[in-house]
Amino acid sequence: MRFLRSSALTLAIAYIALGLAALALFATPMWYAWRVTVQEGRAEILQADAQRLGEVYRRAGPGGLVHDMDARLALQIAGERLLLFADPGLKPLAGNLAAWPRSVPLQPGTYTIDIDLGSGASEVILVHEALPGGYHLLVGRDNARFRPLEQRFWYALAGAIAILSILGAAGGILIQRTMLARIHDIRQSVSDIIQGDLSRRLPTHRDRDELGTLSQIINSMLDQIEQLIQGVRNVSNAIAHDLRTPLAELRSRLEELTLTRPGTEQTYAEIDHAVADVDQVIRLFNALLRLAEIDSGMRRSGFVSVDLARIAAEAVEFYQPAAEERGLSLALEHDAPAPIRGDPLLLAQALGNLIDNALKYAPNSSVITVSVRGLAGGAVEVMVADRGPGIPAAERSKVVERFYRGDASRGTPGVGLGLSLVEAVARLHGSALRLEDNGPGLRAGMTLS
Amino acid sequence: MKVLLVEDNERVSQFVLKGLKEAGHTADHAADGRSGMLLASSESYDAIIMDRMLPGEVDGLGIIAALRKVGIGTPILILSALSDVDERIRGLRAGGDDYLSKPFAFGELLARLDALLRRSQGASPQHELVAGDLHVDPMTRRVRRGDRQIALAPREFKLLEYLMRHAGQVVTRTMLLENVWDIHFDPQTNVIDVHISKLRQKIDADFERPLLRTVRNAGYMLSAAD
Repeated sequence: MRFLRSSALTLAIAYIALGLAALALFATPMWYAWRVTVQEGRAEILQADAQRLGEVYRRAGPGGLVHDMDARLALQIAGERLLLFADPGLKPLAGNLAAWPRSVPLQPGTYTIDIDLGSGASEVILVHEALPGGYHLLVGRDNARFRPLEQRFWYALAGAIAILSILGAAGGILIQRTMLARIHDIRQSVSDIIQGDLSRRLPTHRDRDELGTLSQIINSMLDQIEQLIQGVRNVSNAIAHDLRTPLAELRSRLEELTLTRPGTEQTYAEIDHAVADVDQVIRLFNALLRLAEIDSGMRRSGFVSVDLARIAAEAVEFYQPAAEERGLSLALEHDAPAPIRGDPLLLAQALGNLIDNALKYAPNSSVITVSVRGLAGGAVEVMVADRGPGIPAAERSKVVERFYRGDASRGTPGVGLGLSLVEAVARLHGSALRLEDNGPGLRAGMTLS
Repeated sequence: MKVLLVEDNERVSQFVLKGLKEAGHTADHAADGRSGMLLASSESYDAIIMDRMLPGEVDGLGIIAALRKVGIGTPILILSALSDVDERIRGLRAGGDDYLSKPFAFGELLARLDALLRRSQGASPQHELVAGDLHVDPMTRRVRRGDRQIALAPREFKLLEYLMRHAGQVVTRTMLLENVWDIHFDPQTNVIDVHISKLRQKIDADFERPLLRTVRNAGYMLSAAD
C-alpha cells in the first residue's frame, strides 16, 4: 500500500509520537506534584484535627473527649472523618470505627494503609496520636472519597491523547493527500521528460511553498538544458548543411582531377584550390569550436579587469588601413577609460567581428563609428555603427543563429558565424548583442559591466 | 640544422620529415614519448617539434617539462590538436617556445621553426637591423633606406622590426597577427595584407629593388637577396 510507504504517514506518526511524549513529560510532574501536595495537605488537616482532639482530652479528660467525639460524629456526614478513641488496651471508647484496626502500628505517626471499613479493604490515611495515660486516638480519612477527582484527571489526559491522535492522523492524511499528489504530478512530468518530451515542465501553479520553489528551479534548469540541446541540434544541422557544401565542392574538384588528368600547371592550380577549400573547412571548424568553448562558460574563469576603450582603440587601429583601402573612414569615439571585467581576447574578437561586418556592408566613402560610452552605474556600452543596408527588424533575431546569412550577405565572404560569436561573447559577459536601426545602417554592440 | 620530430602519426611524420629535408634540415624521428625523451636528452638538436598527444596517454607537455628539468634548453615547437588559447598558454608555460595547432600548413610550421632557430641563435635586440640598404634601429626607432629617412607609425615600425628580425624567412599572417598585434583569432578580411601593402608603400615604392615580397600560400618575406 502506497499510504504505508509514504513519507507523509511516517511524518504524521512521528509528530503524534512527539506530541504524546511532550504530553507525558508535561503530565508526569504535574501528576506527581499534585499527588504530593494533596497527600501532604490531607495529612496536615488530619494532624491538626488530631491535635485539637488531644487538647480536648487534656482539658476535659477521657470522658470529655468521648462526649466531644460523639457530638461531632452525630453532626458529620457518614464516613467523612474516621475517628477512634481507644483505651490503653485498644478497646474503643468512642468513634465510628468498630474496632482498632490491626494493621495500624502502635507507634504514633501518619500512615497510609488498607483497612476493612465493612465494604472490603480500602486505602485510608490515618494519624495515630498517643494521649497521656496510654490512651490512643486515630483520626483518618478514606482516600476513596477523593477518587472521582483523580478519575477526572485521567479522563482529561485520555481526552487530550485522543484529540492529539485524531488531529495528528488527520494532519498526516492531509499532508499525504496534498504532498503525495504533488509529488505524483512531479514524478509524472519527470518521467515524461525522460521519455523525451523536453518541452514538459513541472507543475508550479500552486502556492509558492518549498515544493513550488523547487519545481520552479528545476523548471529553469530544464529551460537551460532544452536551450542547450536545441543549440546542439542547430549546430549539428548547420554542420551537416554548411560543411557538406565545401566538402562536396572539394570532392568534385578532386574527382574531376583524377578523371580528366589535365596538364601539370592546371593540376597544381586545382590542388591549390583544393587546399583553399580545406582551409575554409578548417576555419569553419575553428569558429565552431570557439563558439562551443565560449558557450560552455569555461572562459568565465579567465575574466580580468580590461579597458574596453583601449581594446576598441587597438581594434580601430588594426582595421584602419583596411577601411581606408575601401574608401571608408573608421572613427573612434570614446571619452574616458572604460574598465570592466571580461575576457580581453574574446572582447577583441567580438569587436573585430563587428567592425569586420561593418567593413563588408558599408557603402563607399561612408563613415563607420566605433563608440565606447560609460553609462551610469559603471556599465560601458560599445557600439559599431555603419551606413550599410542594416538588418530588417524581422531578421534581427535570426542573424545570431549559427550559419544564418541574411539576403544582404549573399555574395560576400564569410561563413555566417560572426554575429553568433559576438552574441556568445556578449552572453558569456552577462549581456546580449544589441542590433539597432542606425537610420540608415546598423548599430550593433553590447552593454557590459 | 638538426631537428627532432616527436610525432606518432605516420602520415604527418612523413610529410613533415620530407618537408624538413627539402628545406635543408636534417631530421630525426621518434614515434613515441620514451624514444623521443631518449633522443632529445642524448643527441644535440637545434630544435624539437613535439606532438602533444602521444601513444600510451603520454602528454608531450610532460616530456617537455622533464627535458627542461634536466637542463635541456633546445627550442621546442609544440604541435597539438587542442587549439584554444588556454591550451597554448599551458604549452608555453610547460616550457615550449611556440605552439602550432593541427591541422597546419607546412609553410606555417617551417616559418615558425625558422623563427625559433633564429631566436635561439640570439640576435641581440639592441643591434641595428640591416637588410640590403634598409637599416632599422630598434633603439632610436629610426628607419633609413639608402640615405633616405623613412617615417613610420609605431605599429608599422613594429611590423617592420618583426619582418627584419626574420629577414630571409617566410613569415605567415598568423605569426604577424600574434606577434605584432597580439591578435589570437582569424580576422575574416585581408587586414594583414592591407597593413603590408601600406608598409610596402613606404619602404619599397620609391626604390628599384623591392625588399618585401609575398610568398604564395604562405605569407611574406623580407629579403635583400633576389
